[in-house]
Amino acid sequence: MDTIVVSHIAKSFGETQAVKDVSFSVRPGEIFGLLGPNGSGKTTSLRVILDIYQPDKGSVSILDGPMTEEKLNHIGYLPEERGLYQDVELTRNLTYLATLKNMTKEQIEEKLPVWLERLDLTEHQKKKTKELSKGMQQKAQLIAALIHDPDIIIIDEPFAALDPVNTQLVKDLLKDLRNQNRTIIMSTHQMNQVEQLCDRLVLIDHGTVLLEGALKEVQERFATNQVLIQTDSELPENLPGVQSVEREGLNYRLTPSDGLSPREILQQLIDQRISLNSFEIATPSLDEIFIKVVKEGRNNHEESN
Amino acid sequence: MKKVIDVAKYEYFKHVGKRRFWIALLGVPVGFLLIIALSILLSFLSFNQDPVGYVDQANLITQPQQIPDETGFLKIFIPLIPYEYEAAARADVENGTLQGYVVIPPGYQSTYQVTYYSNSQPSSDVQNQINELLRDNLMLNQKLPYLDRIRAGSQISMESLDGSETSDGTGWHRIFVPILIGILYFVLVMSGGGYLLQSLVEEKQNRTMEIMITSMSPNQLMNGKIIGNLGVGLTQILIWVLIMVLGGLIFRERLTFLVDLNLSPGYLALGLALLVLAFVASAGLLAIIGASMSSMEEAQSVNGLIILPAMLPFYFFQSFFTNPNGVIPRILSYFPLSAPLSLSLRMAFTRVATWEIALVFVILIASIILVFWMSGKAYRRGLLEYNKRLKLRDLFAKEVTNG
Repeated sequence: MDTIVVSHIAKSFGETQAVKDVSFSVRPGEIFGLLGPNGSGKTTSLRVILDIYQPDKGSVSILDGPMTEEKLNHIGYLPEERGLYQDVELTRNLTYLATLKNMTKEQIEEKLPVWLERLDLTEHQKKKTKELSKGMQQKAQLIAALIHDPDIIIIDEPFAALDPVNTQLVKDLLKDLRNQNRTIIMSTHQMNQVEQLCDRLVLIDHGTVLLEGALKEVQERFATNQVLIQTDSELPENLPGVQSVEREGLNYRLTPSDGLSPREILQQLIDQRISLNSFEIATPSLDEIFIKVVKEGRNNHEESN
Repeated sequence: MKKVIDVAKYEYFKHVGKRRFWIALLGVPVGFLLIIALSILLSFLSFNQDPVGYVDQANLITQPQQIPDETGFLKIFIPLIPYEYEAAARADVENGTLQGYVVIPPGYQSTYQVTYYSNSQPSSDVQNQINELLRDNLMLNQKLPYLDRIRAGSQISMESLDGSETSDGTGWHRIFVPILIGILYFVLVMSGGGYLLQSLVEEKQNRTMEIMITSMSPNQLMNGKIIGNLGVGLTQILIWVLIMVLGGLIFRERLTFLVDLNLSPGYLALGLALLVLAFVASAGLLAIIGASMSSMEEAQSVNGLIILPAMLPFYFFQSFFTNPNGVIPRILSYFPLSAPLSLSLRMAFTRVATWEIALVFVILIASIILVFWMSGKAYRRGLLEYNKRLKLRDLFAKEVTNG
């Protein structure tokens, strides 16, 4: 059974239609990427899932039914706009927010020190939020989203203000949570993080779904027969069986002529006595897929308008 | 309900647990007492209590000035000393023994004019004591019966036609409770309401709103905030009342007039209920403002709009006094924000029908339901527009009525 099922939701604010038709489902124990350019309708979709907004059309099912007050206690949310009381010390801030998730005083006293330790905030626990750096505030906000052991975790741009060390810390944390069978929806612009973390994804723009599926499946769907090579030799102007050659840093990207496989290209290179330092089949990056799909989607959108 | 209590507790201790709350709380009465004490001390020190002489050339004074049973702090007594000759009195003024002297001329009983000699203006107490001495002796010479009774004047008691309302006619204490309710309401809205407004605007500025709303419903959140901040206001009032009671106990011998107060438990309970309900309605309105505004400065500029109608009965005080069942007093007592002061003022001056009292309560409760519904919408709607001010029509826009 899917943990979250979003069915054809639509949401308008006055004249602006933020979400036109978005559907996807999220399974237990997976990290699901909600992707899209700025203003694509990601945050509105998340707010509809969280029952902050009621959809104009469509429905959302969470843990097998509509949102209830009880279910809110099983959801952890890290919003894009971080929200902690600035003039209040960190432990008081987190204790209050944990209380509102129905945690008892004893549970908070037991879990808070563990979380502070795990996210390197123990020595800052007596500081007011406004005295913490942006990265620290973000980690503190993550504790607020996770301290009550939620079954569903919804995180909007979790790496936005983090340095590489803390990014790795949060990535490891998310992987651990997935291993504990938690359902995670992650909205981000950082495609490399999606590639490393997400099991499945949906890409939306102009409030509609452009792409959905498992990460591997999506990458395979957009795979070409291009190859990337590294060589110290000069490449001849006309390589037999190669349609085009593009220089990309230290690499050359070779696009084979129609019908030729990468294996046949490799044979051609060996026949031409070109010494190869590396040879790999070019898998499209998520960044490339993102740009390609969004561009195509926008062209279609303009044409249909 | 647990979450409502959790929010209320947090809101309450957020303010009451801070040192600056107590400094502000105790600073007001302490500052007030210091100003009163200072002004009393200054006027007391500058007051001339030197004796005044009199030269009775009319042979009027047969009974000299009566020395009061009690003199001392705040009870001014200026001795009036008889002189046989004007020259002796003048000499004593010149050498500083007297502050002045009065000459009662031989023809006084036909002119009733006396002359006061001094280099400084006599205070009203000097003039009163001279007048009292002359009046007492004039009446004494007429051999009037019931002299003490004439001096004290008559006591008029009043009663309504159906006998349900009575008064001893001294009047001032009738408006004591309404005015107290007005002041307490003002304090509640300014402190509890102010804190509520601050808390909401802060949550909007800090972006905490979005976190809160994913833990509970906006109405639960609003209820908790209003209860917590009502508690802050009531704590403030309670402590000030305790200070007043303490002051009353210390100075009880000098505050004998307070026994005239008719503080019936029913009247007080009604006033208190009106006070709390009107505060809750105001708090709901402030919550709408707080959730709709993007900065504290903006919110404070409209805070006065809540206070102004509450104080309207003071501007129309004459109407309450002359015709408490007239149109203006009635309208003001039906309007939720001015109801506490208006209804209690009307009840002080006339008999208000039970159905009218019930109607005021029904209107208040209906207003509370309406503003709470709207404040929940405003809170949800406030999420959309972090940096913009909401307009009233936005609260009824489609996306919100759905939400």
